[in-house]
Amino acid sequence: MNRLKYIVKRVLMSVPVLWLGTSMTWFIIYQGPVDPAANLLSGNERLTEAKYEAARTELGLDQPPLQHYVDWMWSLFTLDLGQTWLVYTGSNVGALVLDFLPRTVWLGFWSVLIAICIGVPLGFYAGIRSNSVADYVASVSGIVWRAMPNFWLAVILLALLVGSESLFGFDWDTFLITLPSGVTGNPGLSYMAGDPLALFTQPRETLAAIKKILPAALVLGSASMGNEMRIGRTAVLETKNEQYVDFARARGVPGRAIVWKHVFRNALVPLVPVITTEAFLLIGGSVLVESVFGINGMGKLFFDAAIQGDLPLVGSLMFVFIVLMLTINIAQDILYTLIDPRVGYDGT
Amino acid sequence: MAADGADPHAERPVDEAARADGGGDALLEVEGLTTVFHTDKETIRAVDDVSFSVEEGETLGIVGESGSGKSVTARSILGLIDSPGVIESGSIRFRGDELTGDNWDTHRGDISIVFQDPSNSLNPVYTVGNQIRETLRIHQGIRGQEAREEAVRLLESVGIPDARRRVTEYPHQFSGGMRQRAVIAVALACDPDLLVCDEPTTALDVTIQAQILELLDDLQDEEDLAIVFITHDMGVIEETADRVNVMYAGEMVESAPVGELFDRPQHPYTRGLLASIPGRTVSGDRLPTIGGEVPTPTAEATDCRFADRCPEAFDACERVHPEPIRVGPDHTAACLLHEEGYEHDLDAGDLRGEGTTDGDADAVADGGDRA
Repeated sequence: MNRLKYIVKRVLMSVPVLWLGTSMTWFIIYQGPVDPAANLLSGNERLTEAKYEAARTELGLDQPPLQHYVDWMWSLFTLDLGQTWLVYTGSNVGALVLDFLPRTVWLGFWSVLIAICIGVPLGFYAGIRSNSVADYVASVSGIVWRAMPNFWLAVILLALLVGSESLFGFDWDTFLITLPSGVTGNPGLSYMAGDPLALFTQPRETLAAIKKILPAALVLGSASMGNEMRIGRTAVLETKNEQYVDFARARGVPGRAIVWKHVFRNALVPLVPVITTEAFLLIGGSVLVESVFGINGMGKLFFDAAIQGDLPLVGSLMFVFIVLMLTINIAQDILYTLIDPRVGYDGT
Repeated sequence: MAADGADPHAERPVDEAARADGGGDALLEVEGLTTVFHTDKETIRAVDDVSFSVEEGETLGIVGESGSGKSVTARSILGLIDSPGVIESGSIRFRGDELTGDNWDTHRGDISIVFQDPSNSLNPVYTVGNQIRETLRIHQGIRGQEAREEAVRLLESVGIPDARRRVTEYPHQFSGGMRQRAVIAVALACDPDLLVCDEPTTALDVTIQAQILELLDDLQDEEDLAIVFITHDMGVIEETADRVNVMYAGEMVESAPVGELFDRPQHPYTRGLLASIPGRTVSGDRLPTIGGEVPTPTAEATDCRFADRCPEAFDACERVHPEPIRVGPDHTAACLLHEEGYEHDLDAGDLRGEGTTDGDADAVADGGDRA
């Protein structure tokens, strides 16, 4: 009951955040230095006052700011997203987002998963075996992963996979599942259109999509993996020296139970915010990784829309990003209440 | 231990094994325990050649300032010394079985511990009941409904009201005093014969402190527990202990039954500790203190580690390491004041009190059985 109340409260509290975030997006684009009307015109046309005014009218920028703001916010919250101004000019924003979003979420999901599944266990292992050779190897490789720039890692990985036949003696493209389009390109997610359950009912398609995204996800998740490893190691080291662990040892709790029951659960507490922060960064997409691997994702789309001042698209994408972030935050709060009973019972 | 025949002083250092009154039948025997911590710069001898024994049902008090090695002694007994610490030498025997050399599991649960800070002794993410049941399962093989009932009974036995509800609560839902009671309940779930209490009341306020001491006293009677009670509070020692060991800089400097120690302290350090108990001085007088602080021992002692702060120190204290010698019935002290052959300009009679010259000590040695 208490837990439910706490979570409902968190959900309600995210409404003002959503409103503030979208309002600021409107303010920055509408009042900011980017002039969408000028971007709409070609070089020569920009010199003509009449054409410029016509462009402003066409985009609705000649309205009084307050009216523009209210109209814009209204259509955003009623999900009437309109058409793009400049990026893929005139296309339906809603359709564009629905086309690009799944690819980014797919990429983000797998990069988060890879980071958690490799980084956290490795960090915990290094923490348990602190100052051993295994710890040094894990720690150093964690730092190396953390330090490698994404664009460099992406290029190296691409080169290795493309040349896999001559380098390792197997061809990545036909390895396990044949990918006709090669290493780069969009993962084929269209089979799930209108039928999300196809994720489970058509495992072959799903595996192909996973294989396609894996190199990009590994690159995108590499820094997070290193971060989570280092934080995980520190968390275990700290928890290991807590008095309740000594007390458990003195009570004769077997070593395995001490590690799994008493150390890990407490070590997860400082890891949760790290994981969720990283998760948001990754799901937010990465222009670099999407560019190198030729994935048409939200990162690249948002970048194009933002520098050109495509207000309908930027606004919609910001809206989507804010909703994603709030969802992850709420997931984090739920995780907290599950891991640590001290959280959430006092209306905090 | 440097108790070799080449010792320059004629006095016999007390043979530690012999002091354990027959040897072998004590519940816990600690002999020549030396626990060191290896740091990059130096080796800290946190516990240096300490010997004592605990009989069934007895309360042994270990007293000393912060940094005198009390807690490390406690952790050594429980086998909780971690790298960079190591038990360098000595033996710890429980019911005659050697525990050092990683044999703690043979008597796991027979010795239990209560730490100083109850807020950190229980795992915050599990209920109190969970942690009691975990212990019950390991040591008494009790599971399921029976374990739930036993957990409630244990909480009731340590004086927690409404135990049936509280057993399902988390440690942070308990107040400080109640939490320490819960910790004691978890410690008792091992069904121990010996309970090591490492400053169990220091983190609590004074009224709660008295309640916890009373609880420990009651439990000791009911369960026939032996207790090693570690504290820096002489007042608490006077109330709880049967016998007292005074520690200083990792060494045991004086050991005696509690009445004897309070009436006839033989080591200047013990006298200093007793003098600094509030309420013992004439009101209006300044409370005496011992100036300076406990040195960190980094090498085997070649002098008296207390000499720098000792009001009665003389030349030889800087040169000779005093061994514990018998100074009264069941009473030892490690101080050159009680050894013959050393020149000191203080009046011996003042220092030694009656009946505690070395000759007398020999005379009472035969009848010096512990009460």
